[in-house]
This record gives sequence, structure tokens and C-alpha cells, in this order.
Amino acid sequence: MKEIMAVVRMNRTGATKKALIEAGVAGFTAVKVLGRGRPVEDLAVIQERKERLLEMAMDDVIDPEETEQQVTSFLDGTRLFPRRLFTILAHDEDVPRIVEAITGANRTENRVGDGAIFILPVIDAVRVRTGESGEAAIW
Amino acid sequence: MLLIRAIVRPEKKDELLQELTAAGFPAATVVDVVGRGKQKGIRMGNLVYDEIPKTLVLVVIHDEEKSAIIDVILKTARTGESGMFGDGKIFVSPIEEVYTISRGGRGL
Repeated sequence: MKEIMAVVRMNRTGATKKALIEAGVAGFTAVKVLGRGRPVEDLAVIQERKERLLEMAMDDVIDPEETEQQVTSFLDGTRLFPRRLFTILAHDEDVPRIVEAITGANRTENRVGDGAIFILPVIDAVRVRTGESGEAAIW
Repeated sequence: MLLIRAIVRPEKKDELLQELTAAGFPAATVVDVVGRGKQKGIRMGNLVYDEIPKTLVLVVIHDEEKSAIIDVILKTARTGESGMFGDGKIFVSPIEEVYTISRGGRGL
């Protein structure tokens, strides 16, 4: 029995749910969270998006330096951004399939900020309706 | 690898995240939660508040960083020198595998 915790982009929630159903997993718990990951070390990764954002922002700004600072902080991983945290209970043998489904639904071209998946051991689970426990309580 | 779940006072969140970044733990997931501790909530006369707002901070770390991060949280999240009821808790659970989606591979 494993617990899979996956932090994904808000706008990928639908895709993740669909991918989970295709992987044969219907049940999950999801909450809105704020999160950030490792800061971007190689600034070349965000260069293209930074230029695009600056182009949009630079029209009527008073302080270009501050704008650049804000745009950079928007992309380099220092801010907390809204994310969706999925918690999925799974049988051991289903874990690789689920990880693959979540990864496939969430990878983008941005190279940063796609989220992370954590896998924790679960000692026991109980289904409230029937009282059955262990593997039988998962699905 | 280990998952650190720290329940702290909401007003300590910003300071804690700052201190964690300074100590080399920039990554975190933050959730607003409600809860109570073994004091059964806060009692004021006939009124009982047993859903006290707290902030839950999730951080995944390597095993050997455990005492460092716990020190930071204890130091930052405690009220005053001796601490007060309601300062929160830290839970540590094992993590078996970690995947970073943007790199498409294993590891933090």
C-alpha cells in the first residue's frame, strides 16, 4: 500500500484527473495549496519567457529596473504559486503506472515548475462503509 | 528521503519560509488548515474554539538534513523563548520515491 502525493499545476488538474482514470484509478483527494520548488539556477531556462513577459510589461512603466526584478521573481522560483495537491492511495504494483500517468499529463515545455510526485508507505487503511481494512480498502 | 509536515501559526509563515530558504530549503508546499491540539481548542467562558487556523508546511528533504531543518522550524515557529500552546507540531514521515515532473526523472 502506498500513498502518492502529487503537486501539479492548477490548469493541469483536469488533464491529471483524466490521466488517472485512464490509468485505472478513480479515487483521489485533492486540495488547493501554495508551493514552490528548487530555485532556477540556470537563468537561460527562463530567458525566453522573461523576454516575452518584459515585452508585454514594458509599454508604460516608470521604473524598468523594478519591473524586470518583478518579472524575474515571477519566473525564477522564489514566489509561492497556487498548485493542486493530489493524494492517491494505491496498491504497490500500480504505483509506476500512476506515476507515469501523472508525469505524462503534467510535463510542459517550460522545464521548471511542473511539480513533483512523492511516494510514501502506508501501514493500514480502513473503508468506513464496510469496515474492511488493508489492501481491500483501497479499491 | 523524508517528508516534514510542520503545523505552525499562520502569522509565522512568511518568516519561516524566509528562514528555510536561508538554511538551504527553498522548496515548500503551503496549505491553510484548521485544527486543535491536546488543549481541546481555546475555551473562553462558554465559547469553545476548536477549529483554530494554522498553516501546514510540507518540505521533502534528504535524510541527513533532518536535524538542520527541525532546528530552523523550532527556532522560527516558537513564540518567545519558552514557547506557548498553539505553536504547532512537526511530523516526519519516510518517503520511498520522488519524481520531479519537469525533469521527467527520479530525485528531488
